[in-house]
Amino acid sequence: MSTFGVENRATMAPPVARSIETRSLLVGVVFSGIAIVGWFLRPDEFFRGYLLAFMAWLGVTLGSMAILMVRHLTGGGWGMVIRRILGAAMRCIPLMTVLFIPILLGLPRLYPWARDLSTIADPHLRQHVEELTKSYLSTHGVILRAAIYFSIWNLLSFLLTRWSREQDRPNPRDNSSRFRAVSGPGLILYAFSLSFAAIDWVMSIDPSWISTIYGLMLLIGELLSGMCFAVVVERILVKYEPMSEWLKPDYVHDHGNWMLTFVMVWAYFCFSQLLIIWAGNLPDEITWYFRRFHGGWSAVGIALIFFHFVVPFLILLSRPFKRDIRKLVWLAVWLLVMRWVDLVWIIEPNFSPTLTLNWADIILPIAMGGLWMWFYFHNLNQMPLLPMYDPEAREVLVPAHE
Amino acid sequence: MDRPSEEILPQQPPVIEPGYTFATITDKISSIVLTRPVSNGWLIGFGISFLIVMVFLYAVGYLFVRGVGIWGVNIPVGWGFAIVNFVWWIGIGHAGTLISAILLLLRQAWRNSINRFAEAMTIFAVACAGMFPLLHLGRPWLFYWLFPYPNTMKYWPQFRSPLVWDVFAVSTYATTSLLFWFVGLIPDLATLRDRAENRAAQIVYGILAMGWRGSARHWSRYETAYLLLAGLATPLVLSVHTVVSFDFAIGIVPGWHTTIFPPYFVAGAIYSGFAMVLILAIPIRRFYGLEDFITERHLENSAKVMLATGLIVAYGYGMEAFMGWYSGNRYDSFLLWNRLHGPYHVWYLLLLAANIFIPQVLWIRKLRTNPLALFLISGVILTGMWLERFIIVVVSLHRDFLDSSWGMYYPTRWDWVTYIGTLGFFTACMFLFLRLLPGISIFEMRTLLPEAEVKSR
Repeated sequence: MSTFGVENRATMAPPVARSIETRSLLVGVVFSGIAIVGWFLRPDEFFRGYLLAFMAWLGVTLGSMAILMVRHLTGGGWGMVIRRILGAAMRCIPLMTVLFIPILLGLPRLYPWARDLSTIADPHLRQHVEELTKSYLSTHGVILRAAIYFSIWNLLSFLLTRWSREQDRPNPRDNSSRFRAVSGPGLILYAFSLSFAAIDWVMSIDPSWISTIYGLMLLIGELLSGMCFAVVVERILVKYEPMSEWLKPDYVHDHGNWMLTFVMVWAYFCFSQLLIIWAGNLPDEITWYFRRFHGGWSAVGIALIFFHFVVPFLILLSRPFKRDIRKLVWLAVWLLVMRWVDLVWIIEPNFSPTLTLNWADIILPIAMGGLWMWFYFHNLNQMPLLPMYDPEAREVLVPAHE
Repeated sequence: MDRPSEEILPQQPPVIEPGYTFATITDKISSIVLTRPVSNGWLIGFGISFLIVMVFLYAVGYLFVRGVGIWGVNIPVGWGFAIVNFVWWIGIGHAGTLISAILLLLRQAWRNSINRFAEAMTIFAVACAGMFPLLHLGRPWLFYWLFPYPNTMKYWPQFRSPLVWDVFAVSTYATTSLLFWFVGLIPDLATLRDRAENRAAQIVYGILAMGWRGSARHWSRYETAYLLLAGLATPLVLSVHTVVSFDFAIGIVPGWHTTIFPPYFVAGAIYSGFAMVLILAIPIRRFYGLEDFITERHLENSAKVMLATGLIVAYGYGMEAFMGWYSGNRYDSFLLWNRLHGPYHVWYLLLLAANIFIPQVLWIRKLRTNPLALFLISGVILTGMWLERFIIVVVSLHRDFLDSSWGMYYPTRWDWVTYIGTLGFFTACMFLFLRLLPGISIFEMRTLLPEAEVKSR
């Protein structure tokens, strides 16, 4: 290993990344075309599907950023080998910032507080929403706060990327301490900003309802999405140099363990919320579950218990499964689908009392996914797959023992 | 070859200072138990804590004679110090389990020098915790009614009550922690048996060592058993305090009924537990000259854990306060007002200072490695976490939905004596533990030496 530099093709993503980039763009453009037609024909459904798609892809983006910051704090080869995979997802934040704008155009279609309040039948609810819109849930407030959240996320992504890029060249100073100095406060900022974003963008669809664990529930879902997506990309890259040299079963095992942890914590948060609200059975809280236990939505809830928790949990207990990327990738894809189902279960019952799935709930995630993947693989192609001049990169470069 | 060289790697303090061999580690740790004479400091410390235990026994005896009326509990505050202290103590225990089980599974080698006494701390803390609900029963000799067992009274526990879940959670926790601690001690007990000069010690350690000879087969079985126990103990770190949080959250009292409670209680437990670990570790390493084994690295790592868990606790406070305001629920908003302006507001402000604001100094690296500063901050955090439980229990109960049923809670001198008594019991147990058993795991410390690395891995 004599010269490792940006110019060295051997450390860059393989050509397959470029062909995925082109194909994703094609998918994105075609489905966006359909979606735009839908916007004019059925705007209500369009915006619901748009919010769903936005939250799903924002989850992969921010989840990757959070895992990256965890890696900067803890170190370890598992994180080094997927660092640039996560980093490319994190650099989709500017794209997500732009994609947020249409939500602002659809505010009255999505949120009761942005509509004419006199249409709210329940006088108590109307009074409460009136007070809330004066102080917190106003259009101005939501835009202002969104600007703050996106500034925080873009700034974190900018700093982490810039210092990471410095590690592609011989660099007199070690950036590890800078990474740590940003990642600690960064994770705190992420937790707070995401929680309030979750309240603004999703929880406030039902302004009468609250749950204090809500932000954490969405947060853990994002971490799970981020890790699963990284596993999918590492599966694609491991067929080619250089990832085939670097990715050791030990790292895959660690990624599987992270997935297991996130799946368990997700179940823990969801169960805690269910048990506390069910046992309290208070009229202004139980509404959330009441909607979701009726009109066919309970089937989605039961599916989530089994296919977002029980089955992945049992499979992830197997050590041989976790160590084999060709097997683990299937579960990662599966969990990404379940993340979508979870978001459907969180968002859609607010709009429809019976189980319904619109064209937009499927078309929009694919359309946005196509654009996102195009941007993602573009990012991935920009930088080598490993920051060669990070002192910890050595661990990945040492040949595997097994 | 212009790759970065070894030198620019960040220098972390070692987990064990250089210059030790297998034999010197064994000598150093086992001598505390076997050869060092009883010092005056130990005698005075143990004597004082033993006196406090006697006071505790007196308070408990008086409680048995007169009943729980000697405590300050009454309607509306039916849960006073007993539950506050129960939650405080059980929370402290969690750090021991986290260190011994979770950090073992995460392959964090630095845990090896603090896991033994952290586990002992867990067991003593759980013992202190367990006493409070039992004493609060009024007729503690009937405690077995809490268990579902076939009986002629046609009596069965209410399984929908989290208090029954607590019985299972805490008894499982106590059993697993004790087993884990004892299994971890076996190889060291054998070392003590082999090194003891005095016949009685040889016999006692010999019985406790359960015939350990240190053969390869013993080690192989031992490692399997220890890993399995670690796997069993890991969910307990989360589940026990989750169930404790359900004691409150299942109810509908404002300040109790909130969905963030489970993760927030778990984080708070680990927060206070690590504070207690530092409160114990800092004097122990100083008096027994163990600075080479419990290094700056351990102090700093513990401080980082406290900082992280403390921020989760802060997130819990923040979210609870925000939602109280956002929901527009008048009872939730009143609770927030009552905490800040009600009769207990001084305690609430102290709590915010002790749990949220003061510990933020741990961002400064100099303070994270300064034993005296850490000792003081840990004390502040332990006080803060005690106040947190006091606020949750008392302030939520004393003014509920109807202002006709409002009241105040004043702890009596018996409340205080019982609480301080358990502190004495805890310290007395720690003093005895340090003299009778190896406070640091001898064989796990030996694995930290470079020569213990197995090359073929």
